[in-house]
Amino acid sequence: MRDYLKTGITLMVITIIAALVLSVVYTIVEEPIANAELGAKLKAIREVLTDSDTGELLIDEESIPQTATELAKFEWLPQGFSPSEGIIYRTEDNQGKVESPAYKFVKEDGTEIFIAIGIAVGYGGDVKSMAAFVKEPDGVKLNGIKVLEYSQETPGLGANIANADVQKRFYPVSKEGLDKGIRVDKDAGVTPVGDQIDARKREDGIVTVSDVMTGATITPRAVASSLNAISEFLDKAGVR
Amino acid sequence: MMAESKFKILANGILKQNPTFIQVLGMCPTLATTTSAENGLGMGLATTAVLALSNITISLVRKFIPDKIRIPSYIVIIASFVTVIDMLMHGFVYDLWKTLGLFIPLIVVNCIILGRAEAFASKNDVFSSFLDGLGMGLGFTASLVLLGSVREFLGNGSIFGYHLSDVKMFAMILPPGAFIALGMLAAFFNYLGIRRSKVKKAEK
Repeated sequence: MRDYLKTGITLMVITIIAALVLSVVYTIVEEPIANAELGAKLKAIREVLTDSDTGELLIDEESIPQTATELAKFEWLPQGFSPSEGIIYRTEDNQGKVESPAYKFVKEDGTEIFIAIGIAVGYGGDVKSMAAFVKEPDGVKLNGIKVLEYSQETPGLGANIANADVQKRFYPVSKEGLDKGIRVDKDAGVTPVGDQIDARKREDGIVTVSDVMTGATITPRAVASSLNAISEFLDKAGVR
Repeated sequence: MMAESKFKILANGILKQNPTFIQVLGMCPTLATTTSAENGLGMGLATTAVLALSNITISLVRKFIPDKIRIPSYIVIIASFVTVIDMLMHGFVYDLWKTLGLFIPLIVVNCIILGRAEAFASKNDVFSSFLDGLGMGLGFTASLVLLGSVREFLGNGSIFGYHLSDVKMFAMILPPGAFIALGMLAAFFNYLGIRRSKVKKAEK
């Protein structure tokens, strides 16, 4: 009996000390973790706000949010939408989702820029991409994207989506391209080469990835669906 | 004499008792994380930190823990250190945490750590246990970097992200490549070990 009590108490003491240590460390790192997450998001926002044709920022340097409170000012919730479980919009086939909140920036000349994070299922889990859409007089175009979450994709194959050169294959896309829907070259049934890569993406929404991501189709397909989900969401919100 | 034996403890893990190629311990993270040299280095260093810290702690408390509950106690201690490292990496080295993400919690079940706790730290003094943890950790890191470099070079034509060749055999980055590369390297190191011991025998 005494033996049981002794082992039980020893184990209890060890677990209590472990829990104490963990809670102390958690309190210390809580803020740096939140900052790191926010920093990654703000960096992505800055990247998608860079004009994909000229390489210049779409809005003033000073207007780009630097803190959580500044970012919160740009949150945008169109009428008729109510976010549930962090999701603001789901496509009908449930393939793509749009994360809440979405953001809206306004350029000096009144041009509206919409930023949202789209989610679609990739090879091993959710693939999240941030995208910026610019409302120009002749329609909404896709300006830039940044793939944020791809940790479940196959390293060396699908995870190559992290490469900036691969992500460049997804933008810019004009209004016509968005109307047709963004899809990877394999699904479109054509493989553009040379100058065609850029032209077909811009005008037809055909994203060529088979040369830069050979053997991985599911991950870029997920990115394409998430972009289409955001485009559909903007459509339903009356922006397009 | 004293300093020499301490050095032996440290060097033991790096070469003679290399955890990956000789002891063949901790195969799950070895196979899974070595898709590139950088991932191997990150995983190896995180494991080294956990190994050294848990060895110190277990050596400190070894006299208070009854024999019956030593395994659960070690697991609690190891899991706590892994969680601490995971949180610290999340907060301070976000990019590395993002790439290793899934594998950090896996350090808990890395049998090198429990193995060293059971075989060494529970029987030796604090300083020796620390050296043992450090040596084993560095040996593990070196093997992961080597394996990661071989796989990255063959599969992606680069090492640590530096472009070296245009030959890309994707299979080397995928799971089969892990087994092939690990098997070849383990065979090579065991061949060296066997040859050396034969030479020694012949000298005697």
